[in-house]
Amino acid sequence: MEGNAEASGPEDRGREEPTPWSGEEPPAVHMEGITKRFPGVVANDDVDFSVDRGTIHALVGENGAGKTTLMNVLYGLYEPTQGTIWIDGERVAFDDPGDAMDAGIGMIHQHFMLVDTMTVAENVVLGDEPKKWGGLVTDTGRAVEETRTLAERYGFDIDPIERIEEISVGEQQRVEILKTLYRGADVLILDEPTAVLTPQEVEALFSVLSELIAEGKTITFITHKLGEALRAADEISVLRDGTLVGTVPAAEATEEQLASMMVGRDVILEIEKPPSTRGSALLRVDDLVVEDDRGVTAVDGVGFAVHTGEIFGIAGVDGNGQTELVEAITGLRPVESGTIAFAGREVTAAPRRERIAAGMAYIAEDRQKRSLVMEYDLRRNGLLGCQRLPSFSDGWRIDWGRTDAYVDDVIREYDVRPPDARASARSLSGGNQQKFIVGREFERDPSLVVAAQPTRGVDIGSIEFIHDRLLGLRAAGKAVLLVSSKLDEVRRLSDRLAVMHDGRVVAVVDPESVTEEDLGLLMAGERPTGLDPDAARSEASEAVEEPAGGRR
Amino acid sequence: MNPPTVTRRQGLGIGALLFGLILLGLVVDGGRSLLADVAGVVSASYLAAAFRFTVPIAFAAMGGIFAEKSGVINIGLEGLLIIGAFAAVASAWGLAATPIGANIWLAFGLAVLASTFVALLFAVVCIEFKADQIIAGLAVWLIALGFAPFASIIIWDRTNSPSVGTFPVWEIPVLAELPSLGPLFSATPPVVLLVLAVPFSWYLLNRTPFGMWIEASGEDPKALDTAGVDVRRVRYAGVLLSGVYCGIGGAGLALNTGQFVGSGDTMVDGRGWIGLTAYLIGNYNPVGAFLASFLFAALDALQLQLQQVAGFDVSATLVGIIPYVAVLVVLTFVGRTRMPSAAGKHYDSDE
Repeated sequence: MEGNAEASGPEDRGREEPTPWSGEEPPAVHMEGITKRFPGVVANDDVDFSVDRGTIHALVGENGAGKTTLMNVLYGLYEPTQGTIWIDGERVAFDDPGDAMDAGIGMIHQHFMLVDTMTVAENVVLGDEPKKWGGLVTDTGRAVEETRTLAERYGFDIDPIERIEEISVGEQQRVEILKTLYRGADVLILDEPTAVLTPQEVEALFSVLSELIAEGKTITFITHKLGEALRAADEISVLRDGTLVGTVPAAEATEEQLASMMVGRDVILEIEKPPSTRGSALLRVDDLVVEDDRGVTAVDGVGFAVHTGEIFGIAGVDGNGQTELVEAITGLRPVESGTIAFAGREVTAAPRRERIAAGMAYIAEDRQKRSLVMEYDLRRNGLLGCQRLPSFSDGWRIDWGRTDAYVDDVIREYDVRPPDARASARSLSGGNQQKFIVGREFERDPSLVVAAQPTRGVDIGSIEFIHDRLLGLRAAGKAVLLVSSKLDEVRRLSDRLAVMHDGRVVAVVDPESVTEEDLGLLMAGERPTGLDPDAARSEASEAVEEPAGGRR
Repeated sequence: MNPPTVTRRQGLGIGALLFGLILLGLVVDGGRSLLADVAGVVSASYLAAAFRFTVPIAFAAMGGIFAEKSGVINIGLEGLLIIGAFAAVASAWGLAATPIGANIWLAFGLAVLASTFVALLFAVVCIEFKADQIIAGLAVWLIALGFAPFASIIIWDRTNSPSVGTFPVWEIPVLAELPSLGPLFSATPPVVLLVLAVPFSWYLLNRTPFGMWIEASGEDPKALDTAGVDVRRVRYAGVLLSGVYCGIGGAGLALNTGQFVGSGDTMVDGRGWIGLTAYLIGNYNPVGAFLASFLFAALDALQLQLQQVAGFDVSATLVGIIPYVAVLVVLTFVGRTRMPSAAGKHYDSDE
C-alpha cells in the first residue's frame, strides 16, 4: 500500500498532458482515483466521479456506502488518502473548507449549519461579513440588503431579519443555499436534501435547483431515495461499499436497476400485504397532552386506538410531536393530561417496567441513545429492558445461560452481522444494530410493538427485512404502532394512517386511497380540498371526542 | 400547569420590592425603622462606594460572558480575580524596589497579564486537551486560592501584604465640585474603565463580526467552522478576554485599598462567584450583568454602612447576609436563563 502511495505522486504529475476527462470542455468537478481510509475502514476505494457544468448529478447508495465521505473530500473536510481533484480543469488540493469555498464549491449539510439564535442575514454572511468603520463593525444593513437581493434573484421567499428558530425547515434549507451562493459557489453539494422535507417542500426544492441550473450553477446531491434521483438528476452515480458501481444517465435508468446496483442483488420494492384481521383495541390513547424538554406543549390532545392485527401508522414531518407521543406511550416521558390504556388497564402513570412486563415492545427512534449501550456487547444489550423478567432472571441473579441462548437466536433469526454475541454494539453497522434491536424486541413475544422510525438510517436490504417482520407480527395478531417520517413506508405498511401536525392528529386516513399530495398538505397543517373532511374527522373522533367531552 | 412567566425586568422589580418589604419589617430600637437608617446612609458618596464595589464583580461577569458565549464555561472567574488582585499588589511592591518605582499603572498592567496568562493555561487545558471545563475551572479557583496566600507568606511573611500605593482619584473638573452629587464625579480609574467597558462589551458582542463569531461558536460551532472561521481561535479569544477582564477587576479591587488580603477566602471573598450569578441574571448581556452586579454591590456597601450606624442593634453577621439573600431572591424570580447550546461541549473539527 505504502509503495503504491509513494509511486503515485510523480506518476500523477507526468500524467497531466492527456486530459483525464473525455471531451473538450473540462467538467466542473472531476475526481479521480479517490481513496479515503479511516483507521480500520476504507470509506472510499478508488472512486472516479465527474460532474459536467450546468447539470444535476445524484449520488446514491446505502448508508455507509461512502457518499458523504466522497463529498466531504470534495468540500475539503477530509483529505483524501489518495487521488486527485480537478475543478474546471484545474488541479486542486484542499486543506480545509475555506479552500474549497474559494474554488467555488459550497456544501449544504444534512444537518443544517445554522446558528438558531441569529437572523437569516447574520447566518448568510457569517465568516465573511460586510464591514464598515474601517473593518471593525459589521455592516448589518448591507448584510440584510445583500441577502434580500440574492433571495430575490433566485426567487426565494425569505425575510432576512427573521431568526432561524422562527422559520420552517424548508426555509432553513434555502438559507443554507443562500449561504453558499453568498460565498460565490458555482458547484453546490447537497447532502440528503429531501430527508426533512414534506412532499410539497421537496417540489419547491427541485424547482429551486432547476432555477440554479438555469443560472449556470452545477449541483450534486446525495440521496437514497431513488425516485427523487431519477426525477431531479441528469446523471446518477451509484456507490456501494466505498466503490463506484457505475454512472448512468437518469433518462435511461429505472428504480429496480438502481436498487440492485446499490444492494448488489435483486430487490423486491413492492410489499405484499395480505388483508388485515383487525381485532379489539389493545392500546387506547385519550386526549393526551405531553410537553417537550423545554416545557412547550408538544402533543396537544391526541387520541386514537390501536387494535390487534393491525398496523396503525403515524405520518408527519419530524418534530411535530411524534417523538413525545411515543415517549409518553412507552413510559419515558410524563403525561400532562389525558390517559393511556394498554391491554385493558390504565397505564398513564405506570413505570416503564410494568409496560414492558405487560408486553409492550419499543423500537426507539434514536437507537444509539435509547436502545443500545454502545460499549456493551450484544449479549448484554440483548438483555436490556428484560433483565427482571422471569425468563431471564430469578429476580436476583441474571441467568446468563438462557440470555446467551436467546441472543444467539436473535442473531441467527435476524441475520445480524457479524454473528458474534461478544462484539460490542458500536462495532456493528447501523442496519445490523437495528436488525438486532428489532430481533430483541420481537422475540420477547410482545402484544404491542411501538416502532418509531424503525428503518431510519438503515440500508435497503435491512429495510426489506424489517418491513417483512412487522407484517409478520400483524399476521400473528399483534398490534403495531408505526411512527415514520418516510411517507412511502407508512403508506405501504399501515392499515390506518394518522397524520400529525403541530402536536395534533389532523386526520386519520385510509393509506390505500389517500394521495401523496393530500398527505403532504395534511403534514403541512393544511386541509386538502380533495379529501372529505368529515370522513377524516369522524374516524379521528371515534377515539377522541367522546372521552374528551366526559372529562371537561 | 404552566409556571408563571415573569420577564427579567419584572423579576428584578419584584426582587427589589420584596427586599424593601423585608427591610420595612425589620423595625428596630424603639420604633426607629431600619428604613430611616437606610435613608440616612444613602448618599452620593455611598453611590460612589457602590460603584467601586461593582468593579470586580462586573468585570468578572463580563469576562464570564465572553468565555461562556464562545462555548467555554469559565467558573474559574473567582480564581482569576484572586490572581489579578495578588499580582497587582505584588508587582507594585516589587516595582518599588526597582529604579522604575512603584508605578501603579505598570502594576495594573502586570496584573492583567498575570490573570490572562492563567486564563491561557485554562484555555489550553480545555480546548487543546479537552479537559472538563467545570473541573478545570474549579482547579483555577483552588490553585489561586492556595497560591496567592502562600506566595504572600513567602514574600511578606504573612498572608496580608503591606500597603502599596493606591490609584489616584480622578475628578471631573466642574461636576466634582457640586455640593451633594460631587462624590459621584470623582472616581478611581477602574470605575471609569468599568463605565467604558460595559457599552464596549455590548457593542463588541452585538455589532462586530467577532461578536457574531463568539455567539456562533457557543451556539453551533460546526456552523462557524463550515463558514471558514476557526472555532478554536474564537474560543481562545473568548477565554483570554475573560482573563483580561478578571485581571482588571482583581487589580481594581486590590489597588483600591492598596493592599492584598490573603486570609480566609482572600479579599476577593466570593466576588467572582457573584459575578457568575450576575451574568446569568443578566442573561449573558453585559448591560444586564452590570446592573445585577451593581445591585449586589450596592447592597454590600449598604450593609457595611449599616454596621456603622450608631445604635443599630442587629448582629453584624446577620446584616452581612443581606446582599446574598437579595441575590437569591432575584435569582428565584428572574425568568429562565438560556445557556448557549454548545457551552461546555468540546468541539472537534474532524470527527
